[in-house]
Amino acid sequence: MEGGLRAWQGMVAHGPPEAGMAFFSPAADAEEIVGLAWALEEGSKLFYQGVAEHFTGDKETRQMFNWLVSAEMNHEKHLLETYETLTGTKPDFEKLRTKFSGSLNGSVMEGGIPVKEALEWAKDKGVSESLELAMAMEVNAFDLYIKMSRAIEDEKARQIFEKLSEEEQVHLEKLADLLDKKI
Amino acid sequence: MGVLDYFKSIPSMTTEEVRQFLAEKHPDEYNLVDVRQPKEYEANHIPGANLIPMAELQDRLEEINPEKPTIVY
Repeated sequence: MEGGLRAWQGMVAHGPPEAGMAFFSPAADAEEIVGLAWALEEGSKLFYQGVAEHFTGDKETRQMFNWLVSAEMNHEKHLLETYETLTGTKPDFEKLRTKFSGSLNGSVMEGGIPVKEALEWAKDKGVSESLELAMAMEVNAFDLYIKMSRAIEDEKARQIFEKLSEEEQVHLEKLADLLDKKI
Repeated sequence: MGVLDYFKSIPSMTTEEVRQFLAEKHPDEYNLVDVRQPKEYEANHIPGANLIPMAELQDRLEEINPEKPTIVY
C-alpha cells in the first residue's frame, strides 16, 4: 500500500522511494550476477555513509549506519573475491560502474533505488523513517542474494551468496531492534 | 545495460484502492499484513491486519496464504 499506514491516516502524502524486486534471466552469467551485487553494495554503502552524517547528534543511530557501511564494505570484498574465482580475472571497477550504474548518472543501491534520490528523500526525515528505508533495502538485499544463490551454478559462489543473505537478515534484525527503541 | 533493468516494480495500491478492496471483499479472501514493529501495530493498525514484522517474515511465511492476494503495509 502506497505510503503505508500514515498515508491511510492522511498524515503523509509520499512514502520513501519505491524499491523494485530483482530478477534474472536464466542466461545471466556469473560475471553479470556478481558485478550487479557489487554495484548495489557500493550504492548501499554510499547511502549509509550519507545517512550517518544526518545523525551527528544521535550517537546510537550514527553508529548503526556506520556499522552498516563497514558491513557493506565487507560484502564488497567477498563479492570481488567471488568475481576473481569465477572469472579468473581481477574486476575492472570502471567497467563495472559503467555497466551497472552508468545509465543512471549515479549509483544505485539495493532495491534499484538511485542513491541520490534516496539521500534527497532522507535528508529531512527522522530516525524512524531512515531506519525503515534501510530495512526495506536490507530485505531487498536478502531477497537478491537468495535469488542469486539459486541462479548461479558454481558451488562456492552459491555458498557465498547464502552467507551474504544470512548476514543481510542479521542487518535487518539489528535495524528492527534499534527501530523498536526509537519509536 | 543499466542496473534498473534488473528490477521489476512491485504492484502498489493507493489507500483509496485498498479501502475499496477491503470493503468489497470478505476478510477470508485476502492476506492483510502489517510489517511494522509490534509497538507501531499496538498503537494503530488497519482492522484485521496480521502483524508479521519485517525481520520475522522469512520465518513466518506459512502464515501468508499464497492462493490469496496479499496487501502489505
